[in-house]
Amino acid sequence: MKTNDTIDQDAWVTLGAVTQLLRHAAVCAWAQAEAEGPRSQLHLLGLGIHTASCQAMAMLPADADLEGQPSAQDDIEQLLRSAEELTRTIPVVDRMAGTSPLVVAICDLVREATP
Amino acid sequence: MNRQDVRSVGELLLDADFTTRQVLMDVTSEDAPAMLRTWAEVVQSASELWATLPQPVRGATSPIDGATMARLESMSQAMHRTQVRQGWPGDGPADEGLLHVAETLTRAADLIGRRGGHIRPTDPKVRADLDAARMRIMHTLYVGAHGVGVAAREHVRDVELSTRGKSSRESRGVPRGQDASNRLAAFEQLAGAYVGNRFARAAQGEQVRGPYGTERLQQALIGWDIQAHRTLAASPTAANLLLASRTQAGIATAAGAILHAGARTGHVDTDAYEHRLAPTLDATQVAWTHVASRWAEMTSPADRTDLDLVHAAGELRAAVREVAHDKTTWARPDVMAGRVDLGEAAQHLQQALSSAVDVACVLSDVAAQDANLTGPARAMSHRANADIDRTADRGQRGEDVVWVTPGDVYANRTVAIPEPVRAGLVDATDTLVQTAGNAMSAAACLDRVSQDRPSGSGQEPTTSRGRRHEGPTLMAQEVPRAARP
Repeated sequence: MKTNDTIDQDAWVTLGAVTQLLRHAAVCAWAQAEAEGPRSQLHLLGLGIHTASCQAMAMLPADADLEGQPSAQDDIEQLLRSAEELTRTIPVVDRMAGTSPLVVAICDLVREATP
Repeated sequence: MNRQDVRSVGELLLDADFTTRQVLMDVTSEDAPAMLRTWAEVVQSASELWATLPQPVRGATSPIDGATMARLESMSQAMHRTQVRQGWPGDGPADEGLLHVAETLTRAADLIGRRGGHIRPTDPKVRADLDAARMRIMHTLYVGAHGVGVAAREHVRDVELSTRGKSSRESRGVPRGQDASNRLAAFEQLAGAYVGNRFARAAQGEQVRGPYGTERLQQALIGWDIQAHRTLAASPTAANLLLASRTQAGIATAAGAILHAGARTGHVDTDAYEHRLAPTLDATQVAWTHVASRWAEMTSPADRTDLDLVHAAGELRAAVREVAHDKTTWARPDVMAGRVDLGEAAQHLQQALSSAVDVACVLSDVAAQDANLTGPARAMSHRANADIDRTADRGQRGEDVVWVTPGDVYANRTVAIPEPVRAGLVDATDTLVQTAGNAMSAAACLDRVSQDRPSGSGQEPTTSRGRRHEGPTLMAQEVPRAARP
């Protein structure tokens, strides 16, 4: 049986991965937006994804390790869905306060990114 | 419910949570009536499940825990009674996703009632499991309420658009939908306070729903401007500068879309839009984006962004979406015009474009003067070499200089930005100030054309409720360097 400490450790690692996926999704959205031009609505989608990544980052401990290669995936919708799937393993408990608004933000972004 | 369902209570709770997420990701305005019909059942099932969970031993938890669920249930019942009284959304099919959630929660309650109701939560591990179960139930209600609220708001917008100019009988879905939307927002806020550990703050002031339309846009733009200045004055880090630049780029993009709609619907002078506003907005958007990419290079994975700035940017984006978006793309001009007074929106954007010059000047000062600017060694080395190559193309190649030591590059340490990187940054922010000034000058015409707008556009003449920009119509060469706040 997992202890609270183990659960926390797993949760932080997962949340770190969520943060990385969101950051990468924002970078992809902005890259596509720049290719489309200054009037592309993807500029605002990228901004939304970036703010979600900032929310996730704010929940992580100060010593969280976020180094590592970004995902090879560059499909924004798929990256967001992957991030949402990862959040399913994060416990919704006091210690992880902020998870629920993050989940809602990601689900909203998935809807926004889905044609 | 399937008799062969052998899932545990925990698995059932996860199922309910994941289903509400799926509902939220897929929701459209057409789903609103069915969702509103089914929502009360979800809340009732959640409440019954909550009641079957073994009660906490005295002093083990806050007395507000049970009260929150009781309040949510009474809110849901009151909403349901109103729906019955109004006859809206009336009889019809239930929402399959939400119905599944209700059944799943009921199944969990049955399981506990038959097998676990006698458990006394004296063991800390059992108490932790029960706390987690309560939190998961509340989380499910929070996500679910948000989804139903999204559907209700989109439904209201669609009905508003399709019944404009029609009788009050035909458009009565609007106030009914708004009432449902407001109640769901209150519900979401209360449930959100529980899962977000913010109960005390939420209980003090029950602000249910803020302004919407141009008023929300105006407040979001002003709120952003204030917060950007505060954050950048206190903490001009690369992460904060990145978000500030990307948000300003977003404002320029949104201004382009909204003013385009204004030009198409007679709220903004078409000639002014096409020949002055659009080109200058495009140019300033590109400049903000370019500067943002420079700040992005200077961030490290562990960098954090000021959460107040994040929230201000989030609210601004939400306000723009409310006016200008239609799912994954821009709303049609006539749709935007049906949502808000585009003349009034144009004035708020004009003020934002004036403020943008000041934010650009703040960034320019940081680029030129902030001695604490740093970045990851590899990115800085790469950028320094790229910028040196760029100047070499202009015939200015100097001596070969190692701007970042091999040791720093190897370990990718955080280093002070090399001189060529700063020079490139200063160039980029100078261009930004220039283009932002051009956009401000071009936007000055919005005051005049709003006042001279031809009648017959279907809306009253604009009277800005916000601060009116009385500033000069500077040409690009005359843009002053604003003092840092």
